[in-house]
Amino acid sequence: MGLTAIEIEVEVNVAAKGFPGFHIVGLPTKAVEEAKERVRTALVNTGIDFPQKKIVVNLAPADIPKEGSAYDLAIAVGILAAIGKIVLPASPSQGGPEKKIYFYGEVGLDGGLRHTRGVFLLASLAHEKGVKEIFVPKLSANEASVVEGVKSYPVNSLRQLIRHFQGEKKILALKNLDKNRLIEEAEVDFDFKEVMGQEQAKRALEIAAAGGHNVLMIGPPGSGKTMLARALPGILPELLEEEALEVTKIYSVTGNIEPGGGLVRRRPFRSPHHTTSRMGLIGGGTKPMPGEISLAHRGVLFLDEFAEYPRTTLEALRQPLEDGVVTVVRVAGAVKFPASFMLVAASNPCPCGYLNHPKKPCICLPGQVLNYQKRMSGPILDRIDIHINVPFVEVEKLKQSIPTSQVKSSDTSEVVRGRVVAARKIQEKRLKNDHIFTNGEMRNKQIKKFCHLSEDAERLLQTAADKFQLSARSYFRVIKISRTIADLAGAEGIGYNHVAEALQYRVRNL
Amino acid sequence: MREWKQWEIKQLECKDFPDGLKRVRPKVKQLFYRGEWDKDLFKKAVAVVGSRRITHYGRMVTEMMVRGLTEAGYMIVSGFMYGVDTQAHKTCLENKGKTVAVLGCGLDCLTPAENDGLYTKILESGGLVVSEFEPKQGAKLWTFPYRNRIVAGLSQAVLVVEAGENSGSLVTARWAFQQKKKVLAVPGMITASLSKGTNWLIRNGASLVTSTNDVLTTLGDINRVEPQVRFLRLSGEEKEVMELLKREEMEADELARKLNQPIAQINILLSKLCLKGLVEENNGRFMVGF
Repeated sequence: MGLTAIEIEVEVNVAAKGFPGFHIVGLPTKAVEEAKERVRTALVNTGIDFPQKKIVVNLAPADIPKEGSAYDLAIAVGILAAIGKIVLPASPSQGGPEKKIYFYGEVGLDGGLRHTRGVFLLASLAHEKGVKEIFVPKLSANEASVVEGVKSYPVNSLRQLIRHFQGEKKILALKNLDKNRLIEEAEVDFDFKEVMGQEQAKRALEIAAAGGHNVLMIGPPGSGKTMLARALPGILPELLEEEALEVTKIYSVTGNIEPGGGLVRRRPFRSPHHTTSRMGLIGGGTKPMPGEISLAHRGVLFLDEFAEYPRTTLEALRQPLEDGVVTVVRVAGAVKFPASFMLVAASNPCPCGYLNHPKKPCICLPGQVLNYQKRMSGPILDRIDIHINVPFVEVEKLKQSIPTSQVKSSDTSEVVRGRVVAARKIQEKRLKNDHIFTNGEMRNKQIKKFCHLSEDAERLLQTAADKFQLSARSYFRVIKISRTIADLAGAEGIGYNHVAEALQYRVRNL
Repeated sequence: MREWKQWEIKQLECKDFPDGLKRVRPKVKQLFYRGEWDKDLFKKAVAVVGSRRITHYGRMVTEMMVRGLTEAGYMIVSGFMYGVDTQAHKTCLENKGKTVAVLGCGLDCLTPAENDGLYTKILESGGLVVSEFEPKQGAKLWTFPYRNRIVAGLSQAVLVVEAGENSGSLVTARWAFQQKKKVLAVPGMITASLSKGTNWLIRNGASLVTSTNDVLTTLGDINRVEPQVRFLRLSGEEKEVMELLKREEMEADELARKLNQPIAQINILLSKLCLKGLVEENNGRFMVGF
C-alpha cells in the first residue's frame, strides 16, 4: 500500500483428490491470476513434472486485493515444496524452529526470473519483521542488498533455486553494499561551464541551490532555460544516506530502478511534460502510486513551459510545496508520499515567446500576453523566491566582448557545488532546532529570528519596498534570499550588498 | 467590477459642444457621456495617442510627457485602447490630473475588458468617458478610426508617442491636420517599427518634440516646467555602468562582460542605481531612466 509493504503469505495445497485444476484465491487481480499459466509453463520448461492434481493457492490475508507479478516465485516454490521436489528449511513438517524466508519475483516462461519492482521495500519489510533471508530476482537483488541484516539471494532461474534447495549448488548471498561508496559523484547532463553566458541566471541558480529556493525562469525560446535547469543537479549537494534510502524506496515502488541498479545515488531530476495529468504529477490512481513530485523528492522538479500547465494541475502543487508531503486519498485508502522538492519553473514571456526580444518582434496581442501570464497561478508564484530573466544570448556579442588576455571563464559545477555545500552546512547548523534544513523553508517566525539586517541594509530594503512596491510577502522573500547570499559569502549578518544583490532576483510583477 | 455602471449616461446635443468639436466633419450628432460635464475642462486639452503595442520606450516617453503636461495643468484626451492610450490615462490619473476617454464603442460596452478598473477611476477622479455611439453599440473595426476625429476635436493638439506604419494614431493625426490642430510627434530610431509612423509624421509637418518643454513651447504656453537637476554622488563603478547604459540598453550579463566584473557585483550596482532612479529595468534589460 503506497510506500508501506504488507506481508503476504502464499499457501499452496496440492490435493490428492478432486479434479485436476489450478486455482488462486485471495482477491487476485488479473496479473496475479495469470501467474497460473506463467508458473505452470515455467515449471514444465524447467523439467518438472507438473502435478495433475487439484492445486489451490491462497494469498493471505485474503481480504486485501493483490496486484502484480511478484507472487510468481512464491507460488512456484510452494508447488515445488508440496510435490516434494525441494525441501524448505523452514517447513513446519520438519519440526525444526520456524524460519521465515521471503520469495519474491516474477517468473518467465523459461523458468528465468525477471526484474521486479518493489524489491527494496521487500527487503525493508524483512528487516522490520526480522526475516533473515530473502530470495529475489538477480536483476533486482542490488536493491535489497542495501538493507542491512538481511541476506538477499539473487536468483537467476527456477532451476538454480531447485539446485540450491537440493543442496547441489548453493546460491551465494549478496554482501551488504557499502552505502557510502554507492553515493558517488553524480554524473549530470551539463556542466555549468558549458552554458554560454547567462552569468546572471547561473548565479541565481547557485543561490537557489544553496538556499533551497524555488526558481522561475522567464525567457524566449532557445535562450537556455532547459539547459540551465538540467545543469542544476550538478551543483546540488550529494544525497545524504537517509535521503538516498527515501528516494530509493519511491523509485523501487514505481519500478523506476534500472535492472541491476541498487541505491539511487543521483539527486532526482524530473521534468514532466506539460500535458501530464494532475494525478500523474501529484500521485494517485485507484491504488495510489507516487507521482512526479514524489519522484522528485529531495531533488529538482523542473516544469518547463510553466504557463502551459492546466491551472488545476498547478494549483494542486500548493499544498505539497508548503508541506513537503502529499496525501493521496482514494477508495483503496489514504497514502502519504514524501514530496520535498525544489521547484524550477521555466516559461516564455508570451505565447509566441518573443516579447521584448532584441531581434524578433512579438506577434501577440496585449490581451493574449496578459492571459498567458495570468495562467501562472498567483499562489504558486507566491511560493517562488527567485525570479530571473533568461535573455536571448547573441553569440556574436559573446565573442566580441571577451578580451583575449583576461578571459574569466565561469566556474565549473564542481566549484559551485563546493560553495553550495558550505552554505548549506551553515544553514543546517543554524536551523537545526527548527527542524528545517534550508533558508527556503524558513517561515516568518524564523526570518525574524535569524535574519538580522545591518542598519544600512534595513534602510535600503525600505527604500526598495517603496520604490518597487514590494508586497509584504516579497519583502520577506528578499530577506530570505539575502540570508542565503550572506551564507554563500560566509557572513554572519546580512549586509547592504547582500540585500542589494537579492533585490535583482525579486519576483517582478508580470 | 463594472462599478462605472452606477454613473448615469447623459447626452449632449450639438449646440452644447466645445467649439473645437462643433467644427469636426463628418459632423458629430450627439455625444453620450458618463461623469460631470465641465466646459472648462476642454480649455487646455492635449490628446496623447499612440500604438496599441507599446514598447518600453513608448511607456517611458508617455509617462514623462503626460506627467509634465498634467503638472502644467493640461487635461489629457485619449482613446482608452490598450498600449499608449491606457498608459496616458493611467499616468494622468497618477499625477492627479483629469482625463477624458473617447471610446470606440458604446458607453456600456467595455473594450478592452482589462480596462474595467480604469473606467471607474477616470470617473472617480472627475474625468469623462464619452462616445458618439449608442450605449449598446459594440466595437467594430471602423468605429475606432471614426471616433479618432473626436479625440482630435476635443483637444488643442495631438501628441503621437509611438506609431507603426498603419497605426490608428496616424488617422488621429490626419484628422488633426484637417481640423488645423497642431500635431506633435516623438521621434524614434529609424529601425524601430513602432517609430516609423511618428518619424513619417515629422517628415510631413508634425513638430518634433523631445521633452515636455518642447510640447509646452509648441502650444505657446509660457508656464514652462523647469527641469529638475538631480545632484547625486556616484561611485566610480556606478559611473562606469551609467556610461555604458547611456550608450545602449543592455542586460546584466553584458554589463558584467564589458566591465569584467563578477555578476554579483553588477547586481549590487544595478540595485543601487535603480533605487536612485537613474536606471530602469524592463524584463531583464537595463536602461537609463528619464
